[in-house]
Amino acid sequence: MSSAVAGTLPLLRPVARHDGRHFAPWVLVTTLLSVSSVLGYPQIFPTEQDRMALGVAIGANPALGLIFGPAFDLSTTDGFNAWRSLALGGFLVGLGAIFTLIRATRAQEDSGQAELLASGVVGRDARLMAGVVTTIGLTTVLGVVVGVATGLTGGDWESSMLLGATMTATGWMCAGIAAVTAQIGSEARASSSFAVATLGVLFLLRGLAYSMDAPDWTVWANPLGWMTETRPGVDNVWWPLLPAAGLTVLLLVAAFALQGRRDFGMGAIAPRPGPARGKVRSTMALALRVNRGPLVAWGIAFVLLGFVYGYFTTSIKDLLARDSAVQQFLAAGAASADKLVGAFLVTVLNLLGILTAIPGVQVMLRVRAEELAERVEPVMATSVARPRYYASNLLLAFTAPAAYLVIAGTLVATLASRADIGVGFTDTLLQAVATVPAVWTVVAVAVLVVGVRPQVTLAAWAGVLLAFVLTLLGPTFKLRDEVLAISPFWHVPNMATDESRLGLLWISLVTAALVVLGFVGFRRRDLGR
Amino acid sequence: MGTGDAVISVEQLTKSYGRFRALNGLDLQVAPGEVHAFLGPNGAGKSTTIRVLLGLLRADSGSVRVLGGDPWRDVVELHRRIAYVPGEVSLWPGMTGGEAIDLLGSLRGGLDERRRAELVERFELDPTKRGRQYSKGNRQKVAIVAALSSDAELLILDEPTSGLDPLMENVFQEVVVEAKGRGSSVLLSSHILAEVESLADRLSIIRDGRVAETGTLADLRGRTRTTIHAEVVTLPAHASLDALEDVRIDGNRLWATVESSRISAALETLLPLGVTALTVEPPSLESLFLRLYEGEEGER
Repeated sequence: MSSAVAGTLPLLRPVARHDGRHFAPWVLVTTLLSVSSVLGYPQIFPTEQDRMALGVAIGANPALGLIFGPAFDLSTTDGFNAWRSLALGGFLVGLGAIFTLIRATRAQEDSGQAELLASGVVGRDARLMAGVVTTIGLTTVLGVVVGVATGLTGGDWESSMLLGATMTATGWMCAGIAAVTAQIGSEARASSSFAVATLGVLFLLRGLAYSMDAPDWTVWANPLGWMTETRPGVDNVWWPLLPAAGLTVLLLVAAFALQGRRDFGMGAIAPRPGPARGKVRSTMALALRVNRGPLVAWGIAFVLLGFVYGYFTTSIKDLLARDSAVQQFLAAGAASADKLVGAFLVTVLNLLGILTAIPGVQVMLRVRAEELAERVEPVMATSVARPRYYASNLLLAFTAPAAYLVIAGTLVATLASRADIGVGFTDTLLQAVATVPAVWTVVAVAVLVVGVRPQVTLAAWAGVLLAFVLTLLGPTFKLRDEVLAISPFWHVPNMATDESRLGLLWISLVTAALVVLGFVGFRRRDLGR
Repeated sequence: MGTGDAVISVEQLTKSYGRFRALNGLDLQVAPGEVHAFLGPNGAGKSTTIRVLLGLLRADSGSVRVLGGDPWRDVVELHRRIAYVPGEVSLWPGMTGGEAIDLLGSLRGGLDERRRAELVERFELDPTKRGRQYSKGNRQKVAIVAALSSDAELLILDEPTSGLDPLMENVFQEVVVEAKGRGSSVLLSSHILAEVESLADRLSIIRDGRVAETGTLADLRGRTRTTIHAEVVTLPAHASLDALEDVRIDGNRLWATVESSRISAALETLLPLGVTALTVEPPSLESLFLRLYEGEEGER
């Protein structure tokens, strides 16, 4: 072992133990995702006919393809599982890998823990090495657990292990990406944002490449495309995993090279002197300032998403026409083409709504992060009442997603209304506005958690996760209405066809209750504990 | 001093974190216009007490009054009149020190521009650096400037100078004396004995979550032992040295300790022996604090 990585082993033990605990939920969620498809599929779609209908339903809603990628074969359990778990599971593993790697490397540098250790008998590459080994190890374990659990519950062994392997490979590549961004960002938060943004863009591009019949190279140019091309349950192609391993090695070599060239605790980008006087003079301005970077980045992302989905909507009729199953479905008079387009738009806006809730939840979680960083303490020692401080952050957490959704909705409405697909600008924009209250309900879950019991940070994401699973996957799973109704998006009326607007009232009442409880909790609890 | 006019009045305060009892029946009185030093070993409960005084933590039991109000309930009114310097100053990484000072000042209800400029100058603070670029000492300067730029009736300072160099430590002491001159009261938690000696009117020592000693420095000195070193002509018989303790004799030299209140009695026993040289030394600050921190023998 060279001296640069001396001390990796003693570092590895605490890192692995500490981060293993944090990584466990990712293993659980991805395993559940895969196992539930294998167990659920034969129950929900027992007959050939059911399976055909599923194919039609998914083919008729290209918005699903944007998220889950192409459905190669929905007539078998393994094919269905691959469609449902590969893209989404890979995305989750990627996130887990990024957070684990950044936590073990950059975040420790920022907090000063790494400095304590760096003065010990520890080579300068040891910390990155320990983080990389841990992340690679944990994602490998995850792949094995997913594969074995899926096989044991009834999946075909080869397909199941291949599915697990794609998750591992995605985790590895994301570990490589995060190892590089950890060297570039000036602090942990910036580093993980870079890495997550990279993953998000690749994910979006893959969905687009498949949904829009783009040329083949657009799939092969995308590392996530390699994963989809393994086609577990259909063709079981193993070799695309090789380039994934190769890319991981390349990224890690680059990361170690970059690490060797930067100073401890600094990024590649050196900070410049700033203003001697401040313009931030209220809690509202402070909330804006603290969240400025991520909010700008999300703003750009939603403008792009608005363009992408808007453009996508214009070609919806062609896409529907190409699908023979959908054509038969239309010919049989089971639905009109306009109705399918309308359903598509509602799904797209629901999806955008769930995505806009993410920055909302992040703003609320930032309250907790500031508290733990002991920066809330001096603010609270001034004449700022807790409710005012919380209200400023809550206002931002509510207005930012609303603004994003309206911006993206306007873009979709503009583009869609110009194409000849029978979609009006006003209807579409109204639909976007009507989705906003559902986004607020999801954000309000985070308001409650941060106010009452912030120690369980993951619970703040419960709203986003539930809304995602129930709204986007629920209908294809033929879940009962009582279950689907847990997601606030289920209550959003189709503004073009539904008369009643009562659903929005109900979910707004829930939002109000969650917010009030959150405020009471934040007023009454100890800060910084 | 009655409880009514005290700036800080704490009685029988308790606070637990889970099963750990951080404060265990703490009493603390700070009179208007005084600099009250708050000392104790690490983990004794100083920061917890200060956080309760600021309304960041809620007391489990006991009564807490700050400037005549309830720190948990009357947060806004009280905090307009209080300035605080935390022990661990954590600044917003991307915000400059100048921006942080203006933000905290504005949130308290405005700061004195002239004094802000003067303090930045005297503490030699570069206000254009980003939060993450400051050293520990410089982060503390930011917090000190932010707190002292406004006219607060009560300053709560939690180890404010633990990272300052001796020059800046001097500036800090001057600034606190000036604040006192303007009529502010100060609660100063500190481990720097010279700072406590030169600033504090009274002090309280906290140990294991309760106040073990309180009084002026002279009071506390009076309760501890003075060292006596004498050269005598005739060697004494041990029986005649009742007033002295820890007696050690080497040739015609004698060392002993004596309770500070019994010095004259001790001298009376020594004088008949024919004293040729005599040193009476009050306890050094260090030995005084070591003794107070450790507690009385047998108490632990």
